[in-house]
Amino acid sequence: MTSTRATSLLAAAALFVASCAQTGNIQKIEPGERPTLESDEGGLWMQMDRVEEDLQTSGKVVTDPDLNAYVRDILCRLNAGYCADVRIYIVRTADFNASMAPNGVMIVWTGIVLRAQNEAQLASVLGHELAHYIDRHSLKRWREIRNTTDTAVFFTFATGGVFGILAGLAAYDSIMSFSRDMEREADTRGLTMMRETGYDPREAAKTWQQLIEEREASDEPEKKSAFFSTHPAAKERSETLAKLAAETDNTGTTVGRDRHAATIASFRGDWLLDELRQRDYGRFEVLLDQLTEAGMEDGELLFYRGEMHRLRGEDEDAEKAVTAYTAAAESGDAPAETYRSLGLVQWSAGRTAEARAAFETYLAAQQDAEDRAMIEHYLQQMQ
Amino acid sequence: MKRMRRAERPENRAWSRALAVVAIVLLVGACAQTQSFLTSEDLAQKPANPRVLIMPADVELSELTAAGLQEPNAAWTSTGRSNVDAALDSLLAARNATVVRYDESGGAGSEAETQLLKLHSAVGGTILLHKYFPALALPTKKDKFDWSLGQEATALREPYGADYALFIYLRDSFASDSRKALIVVGALLGVGVQGGTQVGFASLVDLRTGEVIWFNRLVSSAGDLREPELARGATENLLDELPL
Repeated sequence: MTSTRATSLLAAAALFVASCAQTGNIQKIEPGERPTLESDEGGLWMQMDRVEEDLQTSGKVVTDPDLNAYVRDILCRLNAGYCADVRIYIVRTADFNASMAPNGVMIVWTGIVLRAQNEAQLASVLGHELAHYIDRHSLKRWREIRNTTDTAVFFTFATGGVFGILAGLAAYDSIMSFSRDMEREADTRGLTMMRETGYDPREAAKTWQQLIEEREASDEPEKKSAFFSTHPAAKERSETLAKLAAETDNTGTTVGRDRHAATIASFRGDWLLDELRQRDYGRFEVLLDQLTEAGMEDGELLFYRGEMHRLRGEDEDAEKAVTAYTAAAESGDAPAETYRSLGLVQWSAGRTAEARAAFETYLAAQQDAEDRAMIEHYLQQMQ
Repeated sequence: MKRMRRAERPENRAWSRALAVVAIVLLVGACAQTQSFLTSEDLAQKPANPRVLIMPADVELSELTAAGLQEPNAAWTSTGRSNVDAALDSLLAARNATVVRYDESGGAGSEAETQLLKLHSAVGGTILLHKYFPALALPTKKDKFDWSLGQEATALREPYGADYALFIYLRDSFASDSRKALIVVGALLGVGVQGGTQVGFASLVDLRTGEVIWFNRLVSSAGDLREPELARGATENLLDELPL
């Protein structure tokens, strides 16, 4: 048995050396560069090309030309050279996330566009993702996983399975720390692109800070968001980005709030509703607070604040909902549903006259209301 | 095997999970060769000269790393796909079927057709999962085979003038040098290590009704889709008992 063990150890060692040699030094990809079909990179591209085909006919992709042109414009400003190599897919999903595939498919969740308070914040995400593409991080990660797991399996065999779990854990740890290194690299390159484009680099750290605040206010803090599961150490990254941004003179940089607000205006209501439907009211409230602080409060935002209180329904929520709906109504640009919700809350509180007035305003404002019959039924019940 | 209700459409998320399980199911069944299901009285008498629309074969070839991960290989995939296409043409011709090719250029009506392709991969994966893995058998579908793509599938009938649509899914993997070494090391230690595997499924859809009238699964630890002759053999196995 000892000699067999020795043989397998030797074999493992020989292969380990061989597999290490394969990793090679991965250079950044050049604009327009394509991998050969025979390479491992070509295989990764092929797989993602298929995913992209599926994406192209996915009902979750937001196809609005103006919104797409806006996001693309930011990307191309960040780096004109790689602009033609990247296709952006804006996917209708609550929560904060984006991803970059090796073949140039960039997926941006609507939850990110909603949370970005200006162009610069959106640019920080796009720049970070583009950096993953430029530095071939998918390929690096794949080779790291391949080599690490190969080593682990040989190690396990060589030790007769005794240290199998340890080898697996070591492999996992190595892969995760490798991923974190790539995130740092992408942060740095992304920040450089922001600065060179004239976007205020300080907005990058703010994006993280906002996310941390949201997470801390979550009703279920233990249930980490999809984002934090793949991007650990948010605090560390926020601090590093802030430090990097402080190293340069940022006068004359822009954040681009107006164009951002104008472009997403017609989508924001739907996206806020997506977030509200996550039923994490603590988190949603912080998101609303952040948008309000950023000067983005209007009738629509107040309406969703009211909705948050109405649906949460804890101690003083009913009164807070009334306050929010009333403020929304006074703003002059609230959605008609504001009055319907106001009517429901007032009715529950026993204020029939106020409820009646609100329902009637709703029906007058929403001539083609789908729930007209229901609201009319409520009005009858009140008599 | 009466007229059927529509196959359930799995939720998107459930579907990605299902795919992972499908991969496991395919591997677990590594000893079996092919096992097919047939549902239809119509086909008891074979149509004389059926027109068969061949949907784009979903083929992927990859290399198996020592740890068992699959590294997709685009060049092999391209060769394998061509070999399978050629094999399909000649095998169906041998069955007196007229082959019609699906237009992959993305012309008019392609959006609806793409959705059908997606639907089929979901239904096909569901069949694999629930018909070939006894522990996952659905109580309402245990003793029958009544899956369907729904009436929408009939939309393929007119533009192609086809009676049936044939869907092919094939995955072929090959042991890398380090995997081969691990097999040797494993043999020394008395541990079995699986080499490359060929897995796949085929299904035939009646374009008048959208019903999946025939389904077959293939699992093999031999074969090589990169070689025309071996690809033909694999395709022949896959079409085993095709009711045409």
